[in-house]
Amino acid sequence: MKNKKKIYLYICSAALLTLGSCTKKFDSINTDPTQAIAANYDPNLLLSSQQIEYFNASTGYSGAILLQSMWTQILASAAYPSYYSNGDKYVASGNLNSYDASLWTHCYNSASYAYECQSLVKTTPALSNLSGMSLIMELLDIQSITDTYGDVPFSQALQAKSNVNLPIYDAQQAIYTSMLAKLDSVIPTLDASKALPTNDLFPYKGDVGKWKKFGYSLMLRMAMRLTKADAATAQKYAEKAYAGGTFAGTADDAFVTFDHADNYNNNNIGAYQTTEDFSEVKWNYNVITALKLSADPRLKVIAEVPKPGSDSAAMEGQMGDTTFAAQKGMPNGYDQNGGATDISHEPNYPGSSGSGSVLNVTGKYSRPAIGEYISLNLPAFAINYAETELLLAEAAARGWSVGASASVHYANGLTAALQSYATLSAYGTILPATITAYVASHPLITTSLTTELAQINTQYWLTTGTLFDFNEAWHNWRRSGYPLLTPINYAGSFSPGAIPRRQAYPSTEAATNPINYQAAVTKMGGTDLYTGRVWWDK
Amino acid sequence: MHLIAIRRLMPLRQKLSLTAMRVVKLIAIIMLGTCLQASAGVFSPNITFSGKNVSLEKVFSAIYKQSGYLVFCDYSLIKEAKKVNIHVHDAAVTVVLDECMKDQGLAYEIVDKTIVIERKKVTVAEEAAPVPPPIDVHGRITNEKGEPVPGATVSVKGSSKVVATNDNGEFTLPGVDANAVLVVTSIGYERTEFNVAGQTTLSLQLKVGAASMGELVVTALGISKEERKLGYAVTTVGGDQLNKARETNVALSLGGQVAGLTVHGANGGPGSSARILVRGMPSMNSGGSPLFIINGIPMDNSQRGAAGEWGGSDNGDGIGNINPDDIETMTVLKGQAASALYGARASNGVIIITTKTSKKGQALIEYNVNGQWDKAANYTDYQYQYGQGLEGVKPSTAAGALATNRFAWGSKLDGSSTIQYNGQNYAYSPFKDNIKNFYRVGPSLTNTISVGQGNDRGNFRLSVSNLDNSSIVRNSGIDRKTINLNATQKITDRLSATVFANYVDEQDRNRPQLSDGPGDPNNFQFLSPNVDERIFQPGQDAKGNEIVFSDDNYVTNPWFVVRNFINNTGRKRLITAVSAKYNFTDWLYAMGRVGYDYENDRIFQVTPTGTNYSFNSAGQSGQLNGLTTLTTSELNVDGLIGVSHKITDDLHFDATLGANERKNNYEYLQLNGSNFIIPFLYTPKNTLTFGRQYYFYQKEIHSGYYSVDLNYKDWLLLTTTGRYDAFSTLPSNNRGIFTPSVSGGFVFSHFLQNTALNFGKLRAAYAQTSGEPIGGPNNTNSGVYQTATYYGSSNPFNGTPVGTINGANGDVQNNLPILPNLYLKPFTLTEIEFGTELKFFNSRLGIDADYFARKTKNEIMKPTLSESSGYNSTYVGTGSTQNRGVEVQLTGAPVKGKFFSWNIAFNITHVTNKILHTDQFNNNITEGAYRPLNANTAFITGMSGPQIIAYDYTYDAKGNKIVDASGLPVASNKLTPFGGVLPTTYGGMRNDFTFGNINFGFLIDYNYGNKILSATSYYTIYRGLNKMTLAGREGGITTGVDASGNANTKSATAQDYYQRLAGISRNSVQDGDYIKLRQVTLGYTFTGKTLGNIPLFEAISVNLVGRNLFYISKKAQNIDPESNFASSVQYAGIEGTSLPSARTFGINANFKFKK
Repeated sequence: MKNKKKIYLYICSAALLTLGSCTKKFDSINTDPTQAIAANYDPNLLLSSQQIEYFNASTGYSGAILLQSMWTQILASAAYPSYYSNGDKYVASGNLNSYDASLWTHCYNSASYAYECQSLVKTTPALSNLSGMSLIMELLDIQSITDTYGDVPFSQALQAKSNVNLPIYDAQQAIYTSMLAKLDSVIPTLDASKALPTNDLFPYKGDVGKWKKFGYSLMLRMAMRLTKADAATAQKYAEKAYAGGTFAGTADDAFVTFDHADNYNNNNIGAYQTTEDFSEVKWNYNVITALKLSADPRLKVIAEVPKPGSDSAAMEGQMGDTTFAAQKGMPNGYDQNGGATDISHEPNYPGSSGSGSVLNVTGKYSRPAIGEYISLNLPAFAINYAETELLLAEAAARGWSVGASASVHYANGLTAALQSYATLSAYGTILPATITAYVASHPLITTSLTTELAQINTQYWLTTGTLFDFNEAWHNWRRSGYPLLTPINYAGSFSPGAIPRRQAYPSTEAATNPINYQAAVTKMGGTDLYTGRVWWDK
Repeated sequence: MHLIAIRRLMPLRQKLSLTAMRVVKLIAIIMLGTCLQASAGVFSPNITFSGKNVSLEKVFSAIYKQSGYLVFCDYSLIKEAKKVNIHVHDAAVTVVLDECMKDQGLAYEIVDKTIVIERKKVTVAEEAAPVPPPIDVHGRITNEKGEPVPGATVSVKGSSKVVATNDNGEFTLPGVDANAVLVVTSIGYERTEFNVAGQTTLSLQLKVGAASMGELVVTALGISKEERKLGYAVTTVGGDQLNKARETNVALSLGGQVAGLTVHGANGGPGSSARILVRGMPSMNSGGSPLFIINGIPMDNSQRGAAGEWGGSDNGDGIGNINPDDIETMTVLKGQAASALYGARASNGVIIITTKTSKKGQALIEYNVNGQWDKAANYTDYQYQYGQGLEGVKPSTAAGALATNRFAWGSKLDGSSTIQYNGQNYAYSPFKDNIKNFYRVGPSLTNTISVGQGNDRGNFRLSVSNLDNSSIVRNSGIDRKTINLNATQKITDRLSATVFANYVDEQDRNRPQLSDGPGDPNNFQFLSPNVDERIFQPGQDAKGNEIVFSDDNYVTNPWFVVRNFINNTGRKRLITAVSAKYNFTDWLYAMGRVGYDYENDRIFQVTPTGTNYSFNSAGQSGQLNGLTTLTTSELNVDGLIGVSHKITDDLHFDATLGANERKNNYEYLQLNGSNFIIPFLYTPKNTLTFGRQYYFYQKEIHSGYYSVDLNYKDWLLLTTTGRYDAFSTLPSNNRGIFTPSVSGGFVFSHFLQNTALNFGKLRAAYAQTSGEPIGGPNNTNSGVYQTATYYGSSNPFNGTPVGTINGANGDVQNNLPILPNLYLKPFTLTEIEFGTELKFFNSRLGIDADYFARKTKNEIMKPTLSESSGYNSTYVGTGSTQNRGVEVQLTGAPVKGKFFSWNIAFNITHVTNKILHTDQFNNNITEGAYRPLNANTAFITGMSGPQIIAYDYTYDAKGNKIVDASGLPVASNKLTPFGGVLPTTYGGMRNDFTFGNINFGFLIDYNYGNKILSATSYYTIYRGLNKMTLAGREGGITTGVDASGNANTKSATAQDYYQRLAGISRNSVQDGDYIKLRQVTLGYTFTGKTLGNIPLFEAISVNLVGRNLFYISKKAQNIDPESNFASSVQYAGIEGTSLPSARTFGINANFKFKK
């Protein structure tokens, strides 16, 4: 019996020993060897992340080129059914939900990197420039989101780490008020005597002076967005922005050149150069007409008619015909289905190219020129000098105090616009003399504010659209009403009889933030529609 | 405590019921066990008594009077006892008692002041009793037909002596107590006890056990127990149910066979993974898979890649690697009490695989060949009245035809000559053979040779197997080689060692992409009714470039896919276990075991040159989707000590105390790149752009556990277990968890005699298990690295570094961060179970029924967050799931004769699942979506999960559907629940007939109460293939009311109307109920006489088999209701663009060679 007890004792103590020991190493076992913790991380790394995700939003393969490019009647496609029907005809394809959510996802992700970056440097005053630039990026993101969807989370956004998982949707007006105030206070904190961020993808490379100009240019853009809804605030901040110093030349442009080799593509081009879609995407009738009417030198660098036949038109290395007379734009709303809306019934139908098995029904319409646009590395603009000068032209036309006259700003803007195609590609270089001559012969007509607004904003539409910043073209068109566009009315439209004026909230919001989502929808009268209008567009 | 004293009042006791007496006696005996030693040698007063031929009652009365010693016993013992002559003066109580007990066959014990009298036990060598000299016993064991039973185990009760019978059923046991009791067990027979009673030559007969009564089942830790002794439900499925009509994934063969279990696979071709759910959906996020234990060691059953709404292929799971020929049994431990010893991994139940070994005294040479043929089943029922086209018009140009190959909105099929995409003309008439023509008959051949031998000192079995399988999809299939060794050797009488090794080399060729369009070979399912898929051959031009077949080039031409796409997954896997057991004494042993499961996978995925959507502007195409190597390993080191002790002859005590250390490692390395520079050369150095991925994790779990079994006379059984787990994946302040279980069985039939009920047991159990944390790199669900925010770097952007935050993929794009959580702890699952096991009419009828109620607490949820919160998901420990249900298993032998017998096994389970709590806000937790993306599944508080949520119509106050200005119905902007995707009532019925040497069996299974989210429904409605789209083809559809309630007058065309309906995703929800004829086998066994003059074989059995044959009833239209593109719980009940399910026919032949 004694023996037995001893054995039990041994067993129990052995068991206790096994259990009690050796969880000491657990902390090191549970530390990810493939990533860093905050203590040994350089927050500068997150500036480039913010910029990449912002551009993934604005060039989104699953966004702008499929929606805004054709809503704004910059591009057109007569392929139906096709996912371009979302843009061309406001008819939903299977993935509309995901196209619709793309901008939301990428912009909030960009803003989240910006927020985290600011949090990481909170206790490091030496990195205040990084923090300030991150805030500017965050505001760039939030503006893009609210302009697209309307009331969206802002005051409580990005704070999941502080346990705010269900941010309320703020009224757009409040968002603008807050954004403008934040911009106003952060820009002056940028300080050239402090450390410069090391991972800036803009050509600024962290230059404080250029970031200040970028900040004020963003302020100008925000201010001008409010001309319809709150002209007084618009004026106040437009003047403040000008006084602070907006861009002074195309050398100040905020853009990135993509890096396909490292899997960073301009996703507009990712869509455009997709083999099958490539033959479908055309310049809209309005674009070609506008350029032709004014004999704009840009026509030659942006448009070409593919070589005859569907086989040649499919070759992405085969440049087309750039002659002035050959260029034809395609109106939206047509298909190739043999019915009333068949492209052959289009009033200005130029006819097909090729014949037999290579018959190309849409072969005579102009497409975005391969030389200018086909690269997956195609640069994308956040804001450029052409835009800021055109916005200042409008501010001046409205009589606000922005230094020069509307005509001067307009001429600056137009000059910058024509120079900007060279930023996208050397192919787009327009000779300085040609630009000077064209700008001189196409001054702002100042007969009335209305004509000035029409001319300025049509130019803004043409410039941003043909530089493939479709979202900005859409926002400014909704605000300004120029150019006058005729909506498509195609059966089964999700925006019947009207050009979409906002995007529906991502469908996931109904599940992930249901109460606040419903509140926002209720505020819009209970419907989350593409025909609804955001506050500044009322 | 109340002791019944024997005094003058004695007769009163007779009024007490027998049962009450037994209970009291039990209590008294327990007291004895604890106090006996302590009371030995205590001084006691002496007795003076004198009497001739007096009853014991009188003597005891005197003892009580003189000493105060109370006598306690079963009254009948004293009544039956002989009268005694006693003359003592001032003698010790023991002297008096010794005198009384002489030649009475009684024994006594003194505890404190109580004398307990009992019948003397024959098996116990009492020092006082004369021991007859040991004898050598020779015996022969036969069955009821008089045939010898080889390999039966004969043990001497109460000793460690065990032998096995030889081929003639004979055994020899030297040196056995003449009064010994022999216990004979053999699988398939009832456990039987025989009294030796001095005989040296025995002839013993065993009864065939109709069910598992008395059979040993393997329980947790690999300990065999008699099923009758368990306080919880387990079900064992024999290997013969798995290896005649086979599935390439053996887990699928369990479907319909076990109450409480559902098994469904993904329609991803051979080797696809299985969804195995025990008792409902155990928890929301654990993936559902039970823990698989093979010969005592855990084996990995993780999913190696699955399809989702964005495509992907099913790359199989872990259990699918196991060769069914090597499986002796699969035992499903359903209740938590059964699996509690596995602690944190047991919440989904445990399935124990025991591989075949050789039986003692047997040599074995066996060859098995199995040939099966898979054929695609066509469940579509499309309309064949209208052909391709749009808005009622058939195409008139080649381009128009290309754009409408998948749109059946054209004109009436009239046989007219109509242009196709290739410019040629074809008859505009119905064509129905696309599935039949495109998918081939896929043969599958398995060859297995096994050899083995067993003797007194050990046994081994070695098998080598080859599976050569071809999928119904061309150029796709599996090649699997398995080597299996199972060896046990007694090194000394005390020390034995066991080695188990299972090596698998599985190469899967071209696992098909599912669900989404790119690379998916299954899109000919949605061709217009007049389009013959053969016109799209060969799918490529002379340069090898894909010829697009439809309006969408992201829907790859299936002919191009099967010719060119590469998706090879290879796995080399070694599962080993080495254990040693040392018996210190006959009641104490120690065991050490090292188990290692090592998987080395190589995955090669190529989007080939020429794939239309992959071209860049320079005309380069293709993509190396990945050349991946990954290794997964799990090491388990166990040490345990077992005690088997008799407290008294009637009360047995078994205890185990053990500790486990587990280490998991995972390493994933991938190279990828896009656009091949040299066409058709698929190697990582030949791409324009490069990518690489690297994931790594390791974790450790340290555990200690105990198990105690108490068994009183085989009719009252009590087991308790406990386990403590400490996890490296949890924060240091919250690292461990203890989970207990207790279960009991009461064999009430012990007290019944001469009734039809020959065995009856009630059982009850309470148990808690826990679940591990979730989350980890590359969706491994390993739980690692979730307690801190990590920062990383991504590909540089034009040379500028790029940072990331907690990105699961370390990619800045499309990869929002996951919010860490510092307060994680393992979740717990608590279960109460009540059951009964009844056997009637000599076990001809058996009922095994259980009620269970289980609930999880603190489930770690990964709710999707609104991206506006800055993170896309987080971890919170707030989930709770409840499952309540009843499971019943009936077994019957309606006919049991020498020539003809008929066995039935029927099971039914009803489970109600309910999500009690989701994340901290009780939000819906989004699960999977189907490819049209306008509906998904989710966990919703208060409903069963996962629940389909889809868009409904909008209705006015009167319930009329509201239409818009175009006359088209308007979808609601809210997702509405339309039912759960997991069945609530399910089960199966097996019938087995034997006519002499002929056997015939079939299995039917059924499934009720679930819904399906069907992309096929969406596509067939959207594309005009569905029969519902016939209404309104001519003249349009005018229906519904406008927003103000006025009847709509605007007519919509059929195309516009039904395409809108497709968008209203409630129209994609189908009913999943079915009854299916799952399996049929018909066989003949040639033995002895029937084998005739063939000298080589001892037996040959040949079976014709069929699996997944047809639905006896189903409700879903156009689809197989079991169809899934992924097997995970996340995508359960979601269907679309996967392989058609296959019917399998085959032949299995088994040759047993003569030794």
